Amino acid sequence: MKVLVYSSFTFSYLNRARVLFQTLKRFHPDWEAVALITDEPPPGFAFDPAAEPFDRVVWAKDLGIEPFRSWLFRHDVVEVCTAVKGPFLHQVCEAGEADIAIYLDPDTALFAPLDPLVEMLGRDDILLTPHLIDPNDDRGAILDNDLATLRTGIFNLGFVAIRTIGEGARFARWWNDRLLAFCYDDIPNGLFVDQRWCDHVPALFDRVKVIRDPGYNVASWNLSKRKVAITRQGEILVNGATLRFWHFTKLGPTGDVMTKRYAGDNFEVYEIWRWYKEAVAAATDPAIPERWWAYGQFDDGAPIAKPQRVLYRERADLQAAYPDPFEGGYQAWWKAEGPGRRG
Amino acid sequence: MGQGDAPERTRRALAAAFDPVFYRTVYDDIGRTGSDPLRHYARTGWREGRDPAPWFSNTGYLERYPEAAGEDPFLHYLQVGWRKGYEPSGSAHRSRFLERAGARQKANGISWPPVPVDADLPAGLTRQAARELAAEAFDPVFYLSSWPDVAEAGVDPLEHFLEAGWREGRDPSPDFCSAEYLEANPDLAATGVNPFLHWLAVGQAEGRSKQFELGYRGRIVTGLTPLADRMEAADRAALAIPTGLSRDLAPLLAEGRRRDLHVTFSHDDAFRSVGGLQLCIQTESAGLARRGVDHLHFSPPVPWPTLRPEGHRAPIGVTWNGRTLGHFSVPDVSAALSARKGRGRVTFAIHSLLGHEAGETLDLLSAAGARRGLFWVHDFTGLCAGYHLMRDNMLDCGAPPAGSAACGICVFGPARHLHLSSHHRLFEALDLTLVGPSQAALDVWNAAPDAPFVRDQRVHPHARLAPTGRRAGGDPDAPLVVAFLGIPTPYKGWPVFEELAGRFRQDPRYRFVRLSSVVLPGAPAEHIPVSVSAEAPDAMRKALESAGVDVAILWSLGRETFSFAAYEAAAAGAAILTGPDSGNVAAFTRAGGHGLVLPDEATLFAQFESGAVRHLSRASRRPEICEIAYSGMSVDLLEALS
Repeated sequence: MKVLVYSSFTFSYLNRARVLFQTLKRFHPDWEAVALITDEPPPGFAFDPAAEPFDRVVWAKDLGIEPFRSWLFRHDVVEVCTAVKGPFLHQVCEAGEADIAIYLDPDTALFAPLDPLVEMLGRDDILLTPHLIDPNDDRGAILDNDLATLRTGIFNLGFVAIRTIGEGARFARWWNDRLLAFCYDDIPNGLFVDQRWCDHVPALFDRVKVIRDPGYNVASWNLSKRKVAITRQGEILVNGATLRFWHFTKLGPTGDVMTKRYAGDNFEVYEIWRWYKEAVAAATDPAIPERWWAYGQFDDGAPIAKPQRVLYRERADLQAAYPDPFEGGYQAWWKAEGPGRRG
Repeated sequence: MGQGDAPERTRRALAAAFDPVFYRTVYDDIGRTGSDPLRHYARTGWREGRDPAPWFSNTGYLERYPEAAGEDPFLHYLQVGWRKGYEPSGSAHRSRFLERAGARQKANGISWPPVPVDADLPAGLTRQAARELAAEAFDPVFYLSSWPDVAEAGVDPLEHFLEAGWREGRDPSPDFCSAEYLEANPDLAATGVNPFLHWLAVGQAEGRSKQFELGYRGRIVTGLTPLADRMEAADRAALAIPTGLSRDLAPLLAEGRRRDLHVTFSHDDAFRSVGGLQLCIQTESAGLARRGVDHLHFSPPVPWPTLRPEGHRAPIGVTWNGRTLGHFSVPDVSAALSARKGRGRVTFAIHSLLGHEAGETLDLLSAAGARRGLFWVHDFTGLCAGYHLMRDNMLDCGAPPAGSAACGICVFGPARHLHLSSHHRLFEALDLTLVGPSQAALDVWNAAPDAPFVRDQRVHPHARLAPTGRRAGGDPDAPLVVAFLGIPTPYKGWPVFEELAGRFRQDPRYRFVRLSSVVLPGAPAEHIPVSVSAEAPDAMRKALESAGVDVAILWSLGRETFSFAAYEAAAAGAAILTGPDSGNVAAFTRAGGHGLVLPDEATLFAQFESGAVRHLSRASRRPEICEIAYSGMSVDLLEALS
């Protein structure tokens, strides 16, 4: 059974991806690790894929999405890194590159083997992890978590695993199609990148398994209902189940506040986060500028504002007039005639 | 800081949320008569159906939530309703208030709503009222002991805090941390309000968190420094140590000396540092001198958090019969040792290899012609860089397998393999006897799945109690004297004692003291300075007895291999209270009936809450006073090595 694990990121998340793949290789040296990168290496950074803890790099520009630069421009960094997940998964299925394909966000890390997923995929074709597997009772927690997931999606798409045949392949094709056209952070219109789409999955597909094991995809949004313990035998348990992987969302002060709010005196949670921060710091290359993204700017170096992307994606005429919006034409139009014109 | 009694809490909650401007503006009679709006509302206003603020309708609240009938609906909301998610509706007088307020704005040309003159004061609080409010909870003794510069300046501590101290990050009491309050309440950070005043006047009434309740273990974890950073710092510090010339090793080779030699290794120059292990080595050295055996001690050039990795080079500290010779290259020292080979018998004892490189250790012993020696389990450096076996420095880990998930996340995890492999190498190359100062120490070693297997083991305690026949007494009605002994570290259980003393220090049943050489500003216990040294090894025992200590809290968080403090406490007639993970403390306490081994911290606190712990007073127990007889350390075991 060939297993492929991929993660989608830009170079500013390379440090996190390194930690993910290091932990993956620790438990599954034989699984193929693929880095799906929607970016270009920053000047001064010598990217050597052979020295990285992944086996293969796939560049988003090589996924065959046409017209690539026009399509790319319609998305911000989060949107596009999410959107490419679908095309890659679909292509893995089409090419028969693996029997099982697993997506993991770059800010996740493994703490135990993921073999049970292989077992689950012997019975089902699609595995999803919900944000919450226990309802909250506290009003604050309901507002922060239960209500928030009603806006952003029931399942966390920091993880999805499929068989590359049957319903898994059918899901991959559907996901590919939807994400190519509708992978935007547009909550008022019912979209939150790829996640809201997956609310449909249990209705649209058979052989779907909702993983309700608390050891998977532990994150600040479900800590209110998960208690971490570490035994003298050295196991890390979540509500009594082996911790498989943690989702270290929002590394920094915002994440710290949410973690402290819900972990309280469950000090094992801070131990796990302490380790992660140290691991990410050790994996950080100072040659990569913070928040680097090659496609975050026009060709002349001017930063691209979100409204410039939103207007472009909404206007077919602009897409037709400026097939490569990174070049000066769209920028000049924006200044002269767009909402950003002066006077 | 206590929460105050119920009426006081009520007053504060009401004062914080009540809007006197609104009340005076919409109820003309209040404005006319000049009555105090808050007092009027609290006494009669709410019964008359008047509203306390523009955003709160008493009648609207009662209609929605009839359970509040018969009491002030506003107070019901502040104390109960908000927690249940109850939503108040606006006052019917709100529009009139805004109109009148708007008129006033036009008339006076001032901004509205009024902006407080001083941004540090919560809205509606005058400077005088703020001072009075703060005075109730401010701890001047804590403030002055925490900030000696303020004490030296001779200024009023409260005044200093309100004017400058809070902005400088100085906390007003041991129970309130401004930085933590702002972290838990990020909306306040940008307002410029004094967090302490906000908590007192508004925050607690709003049910805000004073801080995130991480517990002491969580706080320790968030403050840890990565091992790699500590190793790098040690490396840098070692580079600054000059390497001595080989001629300075001449004392090792003095002509005419044909004497036996005993070599020891530890983590520092035991003759220049203070501590239990250092005293042990000094004792060992003195015993050797009495027998006419030379003593050569090796230590790393600077304190190191781990063993040094294979191939890492640094000068080694050399102490000869208690005299520091300096730091030398290992090949120079090896050469000197080779040159004196055959002059007499060579024995050795490894007390700690922290800061040593295993290959160098083997080279030195080989040069000296020594192969048979003692390996002391003073701690568990042989198993992990976290030599107290405390995961992330805050909890007994149980020495799980090195490849476990727990070791994978622990701050000491990156060096675990180095410690295990280095010690396996030593135990394979040398003929070592494992010496535990207690059976508890050997039990931990033998239970660890990755520990080197050692056939030859023995227990050799550092001390024993020698009864004097004298019994301690005490006043049964006096407060129970409860003590912490020694250096206030998490390993020694300081966070538990600190919390215990903090909670019960105002309780007349108890008096908390701290016997230590370490000055600790703001600690919630009276400091009794004590320094134990080779000249005064029984200073702690004497201090315990003269202070009339009833109970010693020896709540070590990690496995003690030998606790001098436990022996000192028992010898002085103090009962020991300890936890389940304290190793030799728990074993010694149990075996000798020297106190109680409690299952957890909750039980410890319950003992104080109920007063059950008072049965451990000297007056109740009439304990026998003992002397402490110290062992000769390795010297006692040299014959066994022959």
